[in-house]
Amino acid sequence: MLKTLASKNWVQNTILIAIIMALFYYWAFIFEFGYKFDWSVLYTVNPTYGENLGFYLIYGLKVTLQITLISSVLALALGTFFGLGRLSTFKPFYWVSTAYVEFFRNTPLLVQLFFWYFAMPHALPLEMRHWMFGLNYEFWCATIGLAIYTGSFMAEVIRAGIQSIDRGLLEASYSSGLSYFQIMRKIILPLAFRAIIPPLGSEFLNNMKNSSLAMVVGVADLTWQSQQIESLTFRGFEATTAATIIYLSLSLSMSGILNNVNARLRRTTYHQRDILSYGVNILSWPLLKIYLFIKRILWVFFPKKQAGLKLTPTQAILKQILSTTWTALVLMSKMLFAAVFVYGIYLGAKGLYSFNWQVILDNIGTLLVWRFPEGRSDDVFMGLGGLSFSILMAVIAISISFFIGLIVGLGRMSKNNIFRLPCMMYIEFIRGNPLIIVIFWVYFFIPVFFNTFISVFWSATIALTIFTGAYIAEIVRGGIQNIPKGQFEAAMSTGLGYYRTMRHIILPQALKQMIPAIVGQFIAIFKDTSLAFVIGVMELTYVAQILNNRLMIYPFEIYTTIAVLYFVCCYAMSIVAARLERRLTPDKIRLRM
Amino acid sequence: MRLWKIFALALAAIMLSSQLAVAGPTYDRVMNAGVVRVGMMTDSIPGAFFNDKNEWVGFDVDIAEEVAKRLGVDIERVQATNRTRITFVQQGRIDMSVANMTHTRERDRVIDFSITYFFDGQKILAPVGQYTSHEDFVGKRIATMQGTTSEINIKNLLKELGDPNYERNVISFQRESEAFQALKMGSVAGWSTDSTILLGYAAQEPGKWELVGDFISEEPYGIGLPQDDSAWRDAINFALQDMWKDGTYMEIYNKWYGPDTPYYFPMTDKIEVWP
Repeated sequence: MLKTLASKNWVQNTILIAIIMALFYYWAFIFEFGYKFDWSVLYTVNPTYGENLGFYLIYGLKVTLQITLISSVLALALGTFFGLGRLSTFKPFYWVSTAYVEFFRNTPLLVQLFFWYFAMPHALPLEMRHWMFGLNYEFWCATIGLAIYTGSFMAEVIRAGIQSIDRGLLEASYSSGLSYFQIMRKIILPLAFRAIIPPLGSEFLNNMKNSSLAMVVGVADLTWQSQQIESLTFRGFEATTAATIIYLSLSLSMSGILNNVNARLRRTTYHQRDILSYGVNILSWPLLKIYLFIKRILWVFFPKKQAGLKLTPTQAILKQILSTTWTALVLMSKMLFAAVFVYGIYLGAKGLYSFNWQVILDNIGTLLVWRFPEGRSDDVFMGLGGLSFSILMAVIAISISFFIGLIVGLGRMSKNNIFRLPCMMYIEFIRGNPLIIVIFWVYFFIPVFFNTFISVFWSATIALTIFTGAYIAEIVRGGIQNIPKGQFEAAMSTGLGYYRTMRHIILPQALKQMIPAIVGQFIAIFKDTSLAFVIGVMELTYVAQILNNRLMIYPFEIYTTIAVLYFVCCYAMSIVAARLERRLTPDKIRLRM
Repeated sequence: MRLWKIFALALAAIMLSSQLAVAGPTYDRVMNAGVVRVGMMTDSIPGAFFNDKNEWVGFDVDIAEEVAKRLGVDIERVQATNRTRITFVQQGRIDMSVANMTHTRERDRVIDFSITYFFDGQKILAPVGQYTSHEDFVGKRIATMQGTTSEINIKNLLKELGDPNYERNVISFQRESEAFQALKMGSVAGWSTDSTILLGYAAQEPGKWELVGDFISEEPYGIGLPQDDSAWRDAINFALQDMWKDGTYMEIYNKWYGPDTPYYFPMTDKIEVWP
């Protein structure tokens, strides 16, 4: 009786609503907040400053959108260029592309932004520096820095997409006499785009969320403005909530569009139509009409000529000349590239030679462990800090978030609404916000809702854990969905219950497949620990800032050192991930033979 | 699997036991625990910073330690930033914040302040010999830090002097060190904040920097204290006044701001002393 009742949708929804109402009631009427809410700061004119602080958020949104749009376009260009470079047979181009992709993927964006903003201008001549600083330097530094970072991820997506195309197709098109560009345009790219667009879309989404880091170089984006309201009125809870809602609606609408595009790519027939696809149809209708109209006019004025297969002698000579110039051009550009490449290596070597290595040597201990083990009694973990602190945070976060992710991921796949809806909300909520906002939540919300406080180390670690949990839940879901449905059915029909099916049949297989993705997530968290610097956790980036603050004149040395430290750790892990992936998927190795 | 569980449980237990706050009147709690938790800056030279041995030193550090000594309790030092120093007091994470914080009315609505223990004023730091008065900065970019009174004051000053782009010309960083790096790099023409901080940073490279113009504002520093807790506020105020009376205050002052230090800043005012 109870079981049948519990499987009814309306019962589940009622229970869910009841739980939410109970929680709401508890916090609205019973719980004594040590904090007095004042939402009016967001929409009324503040008497002290004589301004409506709500407008600050709108200005911030405008800047965030600008950064996002410009950097997306730039990142796509960079990604395509270097993604093709990763497939190029011209070695210097391949090396440069690989170095670009590996380096920028394996260092935190925050460190990159600091490097571009605080260290890079030192390498330029004074006139150029002043010219640059006149051009809204903060904004462009953040935008281009973001584009370079996102571009490295897009390059990998594009490379993987093109490589996923069957070699036979390439050979077939070559043998039917098409040129390289024709093959790319007509055969490979249209097919590759189907594989590329879904992951590319999520890179655009990440790019939007990462734009929140522009605040560290003084760009007044949405996160910065919400913190500005906080620092003007000390209403951190209200300001962060407002920013959260704006970010969430931005990323939900973006992922709505992306889902629609993905569904269209997968669809072969036209019978499934939802609200979103109607929306897209209505929006794209005028564009489509204009496109067809232009095409028609062009066809009227420039009808296609039927060209004969035989060339006249002049045409043959012309063709010969064209092809020779083309070869020469290609050769020249290759040589030019090689020259630039050698010059770049020379510049890099010169820069490294002029480094003050003594400074790095003197401070490497501080960067690694801060002042462990000579800390005072009031230091966390005997004065631990720096790189080891970042690793500690990442390890704690990944180990706890693994269990959160496992439970939430299973809950997300459950048929029961009581489990499914909260899990889904958790995942979407977290994934729709930048990590920096999640850090601010934990930092502002936990004290308000629980009348307690936690140290900055724990609030950053909890934020990282909650954040990663949502991503791991999605990895878990993907892993389980990859297991053939027959396995579930077979297990169920042999009389195993849900728990035992999962425990003995599904999870062991799924977890094995998930390991590379989880290692990838671990790299991501390790990089993200650098964000904890905004609330003053003694991790590597913050220690570097303290050192830089004291030494003053060696920003290049310090930022390069920490970039290398981050890179070494992340790169080592990504090699491990690649190895694991190869070992855990044996059929791929067989294909190579 | 079992190890993991034990690990997770132990972690949860540690977090709960060590971090739970006991709400209540601060004075009794500090006296019972024998420990006062003090929030201090890490980026303010010579207020509170890390020296070359990575020790946390400075004027604010010495003042906080002296206050704790007079209360007869130990000190637990907590790192605070411009962003966290007020939130920490609000949340009860710290019992007082000695973090070169100007006493303002807007801040006084959410936390309480002790009597003024230091008198500072805002100025602009710029490369030597390039600027002579505030008017020279109109149309130029000036660095400051987010969440400080300096940020509001410098915007108001530029607005008064007739800079139409005063919002865009003030670049707000998260930390003092970042603002100074921007100034050194030349991406801003000047850096404006409380003059002692500016002096502290300028002293790292003698002869390259100078303070331009008069004081933009007065910045009376107070110790940030939990709202509506007068017993605790009295204890801090009395300790500060005792320090002034028996000369300890001036000793500390001269150690950091005296004529023999690189941060020389003459004492012009007098701490409020109640008979």
